[in-house]
Amino acid sequence: MLQIFVDTHYDIVGKRVYASWISGILILLGLLSLMFQGLNFGIDFSGGTLIQMKFNEPITAGEIRSLLKNPKLGTPQIQRSGPDEYMIRVLTVGTGDEIQKIIEEDLQEKSFEVRRVEIIGPIIGLELRQKAINAILVALFFILIYISIRFEFKFALSAVIALFHDVLITLGFFSIFQWEISMPVLAAFLTIVGYSLNDTIVIFDRIRENKLSHKNKTFPDIINLSINESLSRTIITSFTTLLVVLALVLFGGEVLFGFSIAMVIGVIVGTYSSNFIASPILIMLEQRKRNKIKTKK
Amino acid sequence: MQKKFMLNYVIIGLLLVWAAWQLTPTLRYELMSEERKEELRMTGELQALEEKIIRRGLDLQGGMHLVLEVDVAQLTQNIAQNKSQSYYQFMSQVQEAYKADPDRDYFDILEEMANAQNFRLARHFPGRGDNNSQIVSSLKQEAKDAVIRAQEIIRNRVDQFGVSEPTIQRQGDRRIIVELAGITDPERATNLIQSTAQLEFVLLKDPEVVQDAIARIDAVMKKVDPETLKDTTRIEETVSKDKEVSIEELFGLADEEAKDSVALVDENIFEERPFSALLRNLGNDIGVPVENYYAVNRILQNPEVQRTLPADLRILWSNKTETFTTQDGSKVAFYRLYFVNREPVLTGNVITDAKATLGGMSGTNMGQPIVNLSMNSEGAKTWARVTGANIGKRIAIVLDNKVQIAPVIRDRIAGGKTVIEGLTSIEEAKDIEICLKAGALPAPVEIIEKRTIGPSLGADSIRKGTTSVLMGLLIVIIFIIINYKGAGVIAFVTLVLNIAFVLSALALLRATLTLPGIAGLVLTVGMAVDANVIIFERIREELRKGKTVKAAVDNGFSRAFITILDANLTTLIAALVLWQFGTGPIRGFAVVLFWGIVFNFVSGYFISKTILTSITHNKTLKKLSI
Repeated sequence: MLQIFVDTHYDIVGKRVYASWISGILILLGLLSLMFQGLNFGIDFSGGTLIQMKFNEPITAGEIRSLLKNPKLGTPQIQRSGPDEYMIRVLTVGTGDEIQKIIEEDLQEKSFEVRRVEIIGPIIGLELRQKAINAILVALFFILIYISIRFEFKFALSAVIALFHDVLITLGFFSIFQWEISMPVLAAFLTIVGYSLNDTIVIFDRIRENKLSHKNKTFPDIINLSINESLSRTIITSFTTLLVVLALVLFGGEVLFGFSIAMVIGVIVGTYSSNFIASPILIMLEQRKRNKIKTKK
Repeated sequence: MQKKFMLNYVIIGLLLVWAAWQLTPTLRYELMSEERKEELRMTGELQALEEKIIRRGLDLQGGMHLVLEVDVAQLTQNIAQNKSQSYYQFMSQVQEAYKADPDRDYFDILEEMANAQNFRLARHFPGRGDNNSQIVSSLKQEAKDAVIRAQEIIRNRVDQFGVSEPTIQRQGDRRIIVELAGITDPERATNLIQSTAQLEFVLLKDPEVVQDAIARIDAVMKKVDPETLKDTTRIEETVSKDKEVSIEELFGLADEEAKDSVALVDENIFEERPFSALLRNLGNDIGVPVENYYAVNRILQNPEVQRTLPADLRILWSNKTETFTTQDGSKVAFYRLYFVNREPVLTGNVITDAKATLGGMSGTNMGQPIVNLSMNSEGAKTWARVTGANIGKRIAIVLDNKVQIAPVIRDRIAGGKTVIEGLTSIEEAKDIEICLKAGALPAPVEIIEKRTIGPSLGADSIRKGTTSVLMGLLIVIIFIIINYKGAGVIAFVTLVLNIAFVLSALALLRATLTLPGIAGLVLTVGMAVDANVIIFERIREELRKGKTVKAAVDNGFSRAFITILDANLTTLIAALVLWQFGTGPIRGFAVVLFWGIVFNFVSGYFISKTILTSITHNKTLKKLSI
């Protein structure tokens, strides 16, 4: 059953020109969006007030918006989070419960229950952003060291380049669709880093093994062989993981939506990059080294 | 069974017993009815049980998460002595510089500016060293102590408030994190925690001084084109240096209501005295209609206004509004505005006891909530002297910079007994009692982060989280059993065990399970499946090469081990970094992911290897269900 990807001989390495076109276009689109639209930072990172309310009567986001007219609120973001349930985000932080009280006053003619309030001071937001960037950089650094020890430096470099590729594309999606970047989304990004690595390492591990057992083959051939040999595992694992994160998208609710959608994109992009990006980069690095040796001679 | 597997099965058996032992309390707790819980609570057994169950994060059970920052500027202000006009000027400059660059340490700015301006701190902070740097390092130490003291005091207050398992910890030099699970009245809890409980007795300024101060503010505000105050477009920058403000913002009202608020401005004198126009006469006091609260506050905070006022003058609001009927019959709510001395005659540290109660059978506070205060002998002496010397004058009882009441001193008060009146409810009186007894905070604390989650949302999240995990697990299991048949069943067992082990570890370490933690659990499922897939694919590969079942299984596991090790260790690194550098929700995720990976080696590799190899150990086995 499902032994369909057995003994395949796809020329993955030969497709690397197309792959770099696809990745290039995706990254370019993402970068353009990042430049012109930027990212939609949630209050975790920008500071502000979030109130989640469940109304006891049918109401639309438009109605809420028209009721919230206190100028202190600026332009509130209103997002549906369930039946008659909405999250109202305001970029201002009043003193104490000021913003919450203003919102409750503006909506006093409606009956509702406040389910969640988050107030993040602007300094905290800035700090969290800084900490998050630090965390990613530190993680990448240690991963680079670990792979260098277990494999070779060029493996580590290719893996990390592939990681940047994944995070960049995922960030691009978040910018294009203006999905909110919150704390859980950040955790998802770090998971993507972990997952994509996992995938890449499994293939690299094959390459390391085949390099020893197939000494007569060229390096690109070894890589192609390794990818093909791992293909069955890659597809089964990615597929199951995708099923799991899709369960999160469907059943996890609004709070986990950002996290789940980041994971879905991350799993797809991560699998793709392990096969089509990380390994070809490895060939490139290998060839550059050979050229250098040649020119020295 | 062969001897070589005995040890493995014993280890697995022990692990299972351990997991069952760790998880039983949680299961018992979850399945228990509410009535039974109440019964056990009486005997104290429930508390013992709660000690052993997996803790739920605030996002799952509802509650409040607060990050408080101690106001070091105010602390410094409290310590300082010989406060002169030049002192206040210097300090307000430091304050402005600090506000402009909040990332920097307040004391570093203080030292830098003192040195730059040749300002001698020693004059105002005697006994703390000779030069500025000595004094600043002493102040830094003081601030550190103050944060520790504040933590203790907040703990005392929270304990009296009655919340189960509150978390109160320090973060960094200036911050305190407070987590209160399952509280029903977050606002009351916030007020209780944030109240500095700084009780002061301050003499009111004489009416002439008040008139003079108002005239000065009017003079400053007149320089701002008065029409712009009424105009609905913009106010000049003098009103607010940081940003331009529209009249709506000034009055805190939206367009439609702005008309009403303009009506509260006394048109007759607006041109000449824009500040006075916002005020009303309330007998001996100055009243401010609620609609004008924002406007007046804004004017009072204006740096130029502050500069023009005498250094020893403080302007305070009353703690609540009062409603009066005006001549035309409409009802208007007012705050009172008090002009008082900057230095209090007494502060709360002389209070030895506080008791909230309802006022007696007769007198002005009949049946009203009040707080009875007792003072130590030193305080009582000062109190007697001050009241004796100021008969006929008014004194304000100030709590947290809000005037509770400002009675006229009728007689010398000996013995130190005093009453706080003017409270709205017995709860308020009780909270004041708690705060005064637990001690005053050394400095005000500011809430810089606050997350409140209602219990119903928490229950929702648990339901959604559990559904996600179960659905994810179900889908994966169906898929893996179809794909790997017999071996798939083993994978299924190891998956379930993996989750059980992670939960056991959480219970043992009293770690907290949060919503991101559940997401981590889902990811753990994914990682565990991957380990199985890698192994099974290897075994299939070996089988295709024509190896015997036993050889294929042995080779499969030993080859897969390196792959699983490298793949999991790199993710482990990511999880550890997240654990170390992440905050709140991220940490909850990282903890679960970390244990998930650790137990992935145990169940995904060790247990499935033991089961599979012991089955295939029999060399006669020709076919493997994989």
